[in-house]
Amino acid sequence: MDSTSKRKVILKIEKISKYFGSVVALNNASFEVYENEIIGLVGDNGAGKSTLLKILSGNFPPDKGEIYFEGRKVDFKSPVEARQMGIETVYQDLSLCENLDAISNLFIGREVYKNFLGFKVLQKREMESETLEVVNEIGIDIPSVKERIEFLSGGERQAISLSRFVAWGKKLALLDEPTAALGVKQTRKALDLITKIRKQRNIAIIVVSHNLQQIFKIVDRIIVLRHGEVVGIKEKQSTDPDEIVSLITGAIFINDNK
Amino acid sequence: MREGPKARKVLVEQRTTRIFRLISDNMIWFILLSSIVVFSLTVPGFFGARNFRNIIHHSVFIGLLAIAESYCLISGNFDLSIESVAGMGAILSAWLCGASVFASGLYVNPFVGLLIVTVIGAAVGFINGFFILRFKINPFLVTFSTYIIIRGLAVFLTGGRGVSRLPGSFRLVDTIKFLTLPLMVYIMLIFFMFFYFVLEKTRFGRHTFVIGGNINAAYNFGINVNRHLFRIFVLSGALSGFTGWLMAARAGGATPAMARGFLFETLAAVVIGGVSITGGFGSLTGVLAGVLLLSSMRSALNILAISPFITEVIRGLLVLAAIVLNSVKRTVGRK
Repeated sequence: MDSTSKRKVILKIEKISKYFGSVVALNNASFEVYENEIIGLVGDNGAGKSTLLKILSGNFPPDKGEIYFEGRKVDFKSPVEARQMGIETVYQDLSLCENLDAISNLFIGREVYKNFLGFKVLQKREMESETLEVVNEIGIDIPSVKERIEFLSGGERQAISLSRFVAWGKKLALLDEPTAALGVKQTRKALDLITKIRKQRNIAIIVVSHNLQQIFKIVDRIIVLRHGEVVGIKEKQSTDPDEIVSLITGAIFINDNK
Repeated sequence: MREGPKARKVLVEQRTTRIFRLISDNMIWFILLSSIVVFSLTVPGFFGARNFRNIIHHSVFIGLLAIAESYCLISGNFDLSIESVAGMGAILSAWLCGASVFASGLYVNPFVGLLIVTVIGAAVGFINGFFILRFKINPFLVTFSTYIIIRGLAVFLTGGRGVSRLPGSFRLVDTIKFLTLPLMVYIMLIFFMFFYFVLEKTRFGRHTFVIGGNINAAYNFGINVNRHLFRIFVLSGALSGFTGWLMAARAGGATPAMARGFLFETLAAVVIGGVSITGGFGSLTGVLAGVLLLSSMRSALNILAISPFITEVIRGLLVLAAIVLNSVKRTVGRK
């Protein structure tokens, strides 16, 4: 990916800072994301990854700094504003309703309905067939799309959370630990899916993960956060897991052994 | 090929869970039907059109309040003020429209009275919603306060005295009968059907379940949580006020103590009907069965002239059994 400079910037964040009381969660973070690229966002616990994602998804605003999406300055007041612009988030906590089935969960806030005497009547069959399509595309088996989430395993739950990205991801997707609850085989499927969706839709994706092996499998560039600061932006080809680890931990990179 | 028997086993397991769930989801109706059969066989005078008519007639007020409380509970909230609002609705509408000594002397048209108490009920719901949602105070505490305040206002209105001599037009809702059942029974059944439709088939109902299941997910995916809950509190208040008006119509008057004890009766019916106190679960078909079950039980115990104190004990045990049953139901099949 040596041609990044020629590609269109879809997201640009400039000197973003966020404080929680006296804790500096993000400090002057700046980077750009290009169209159709996969970014790996890495860092130790408390480095500011989730804070950054929550700012981008509209869950809370930054205290300082600016965000540009598709060239325009944006100022999200709620997640729904970010989503309307085409930013889809898969939350680390999965944001599932355990009391409802997969169909309902996929369509939260986006229910398909028809107006009938002033009532918004749900179109359940339509939503069911769309859900089946998406679940098939993911390739992770769940017992039934009509099963309540509370009866599903951790991996199945994560698959349903990912199905939102498959169904709704448009311009930019933010995936927070998208494979944390998946088994080895499921993880491989999920990673394949992420790269496939990217190819199909020309979508940019930011993946937060602790698993560097996974990150190296699918991403184009890696952004490293430490103590709320961007300490490295690396092309995948020009770095390796050792360097990334040393950036994450702040250890001095010693190349003597090699 | 090796997966054949295993797959079949899974299928059988799925089928048994499905049958189990079908039974457990409609358990309350089986219990209701079997209780009616048992009471009919063992309690003299229980079986008969007249008693069944009484049972359903008795269910009207608790039934309507149970609809209001079900919406509140399913959305993960509470409304303790329903009982007081119903009591206030009864005494206020009697005071406005009645002709006895302690009435207002205004001789308000009963249907204007209906409008007034429904709007005032809605206003109480609005106040509940305002403090719960704007100031983020626990719904239990807010509605407990309005429960006390509204009851106090109802007593204050007539100095604690009752009002009677309501005009005949006020009582029409109870005196007009179709197939020997008073109009208000049909009103309750229509309300059940309508609110069942809203809860199960519309976006409003779906959002109620989403908010009760995971309020953060509701927010993350763009549901206007506060507006939705506001509407539910207002609905709950309006329904309760309307219920009070019906109570006055039935009794031909009202006392400030009317509807006392209805809160616990309603909560019992709703919980027996399968609604979860912690939100996200419940259906109005179950709630209707719960209301009818409590009503038939009361009738049977009345006929047997069993001490009302023992009646309370039995009702308490029934609530406990319902809670245990629901939690067992929810743990079966969980991974």
